[in-house]
Amino acid sequence: MLPNAKTCFYPRSPAEAFRILKESGPRLLILAGGTTAALSNDPKIEALMDITRLGHDTIEPIGTGFRLGCNVRLQDLAESAALQEFCGGMVAQAAGAVGSRPIRNAATVGGNAVQVFRWSDPPVAWLALNARFEIEGPAGARSLGADEFYARHPRQALDAAELVLGVRLERPEGPHAGAFSKLARTAFDLAIVDVAVLLLGSRESCQGARIAIGATRTLPWRAARAEERLRGQPLTAEALADAARLAREDTQTAGDARTSAEYRLQMVEVMVRRTLQQAADRLR
Amino acid sequence: MQIHVEVNGKRLTWEAHPGESLLSVLRREGFLSVKRGCEEGDCGACTILLDGRSARACLLLSAQVEGRRITTLEGLGNADRLHPLQQAFVDSGAVQCGFCTPGMVLSAKALLDRVPRPDEEQVREALDGNLCRCTGYKKIIEAVLLAAQRMNP
Repeated sequence: MLPNAKTCFYPRSPAEAFRILKESGPRLLILAGGTTAALSNDPKIEALMDITRLGHDTIEPIGTGFRLGCNVRLQDLAESAALQEFCGGMVAQAAGAVGSRPIRNAATVGGNAVQVFRWSDPPVAWLALNARFEIEGPAGARSLGADEFYARHPRQALDAAELVLGVRLERPEGPHAGAFSKLARTAFDLAIVDVAVLLLGSRESCQGARIAIGATRTLPWRAARAEERLRGQPLTAEALADAARLAREDTQTAGDARTSAEYRLQMVEVMVRRTLQQAADRLR
Repeated sequence: MQIHVEVNGKRLTWEAHPGESLLSVLRREGFLSVKRGCEEGDCGACTILLDGRSARACLLLSAQVEGRRITTLEGLGNADRLHPLQQAFVDSGAVQCGFCTPGMVLSAKALLDRVPRPDEEQVREALDGNLCRCTGYKKIIEAVLLAAQRMNP
């Protein structure tokens, strides 16, 4: 219950939304799927703005990749035949790993990207694919790559009157394969560890790797030393195990109600190794 | 604020607080099949259909349903005239305490509207957001498969 919310705006275009954002200031809460907002009791919120009616709700093929509108529901990503095929299906699987179907029916691409929690599943896929976030505000449009977008909390990357209107995915050039894994206690519990990887090249000679890890600390991150270990190398079981060990060594984490820090660390290594193996098996 | 909404085919205007949950408003307006369970999106007892897709009434603010179409269990059938899904739940012994049943039936309806003859895996997936503490799910899954068979022979 947001006790002091008195009204709700329903902008029909981004321009209208920017105007409302500018006029209403910090007492306005932006609603997309609303699954987080509904649990808030923030007394400072005086007005709501439902942005789900301003368009940007389709998955468009663009070039060899896609543009995902901010208002596309996570369930639609999970069910997209094109995304199930794209880069090992990591986007479809990461979206499908969120909560349960009714939650995925509500939660949106944009809302999930900005309102990121430690256990959010899709951000590891955005990081592994180096997705670009299309940001727009009264001053114009710009875009940020996932590395920059998640370098600090995305709310800090956005100006007060800016919105994320879409996410661009480029298909990597040349042979590539991806994979996503989530470790959780039950089918719809929050993640203990999330991993998404993208491998370029071949099993004989890896031309590059992007390894993204989620749920271990506030924001998802890339295991840079693990990626470096694989570059230019054959993807042998030993190389993958080395990379997984490096990822574990670079993991900063803590325990919580679901798991101890020790277990999570152990599982980072296991999940990185398995996810790398899965992607490597998909390479020629 | 005033909220204009279509519930079970009827156009309604509610006087509601925009920051309160849809669950509170629905129950106040008499739609008591929408159960107040965990109130944090885990249990599925408050499942409704929003524009035909399953949703959590407890995770929606009332303002979000302006201009939208809601289906609750009251819109499916009643004691004299059961919906085929409800009849199948009865015939399969899929109801014990009954608290999760409205949500189960609505999640199943959303599935059958999309996939008229689902297999068991699809039924399990469609019910992934509905917890039942009595039945162990087996008879619920059987009920949905039975209803599908009767509705789309």
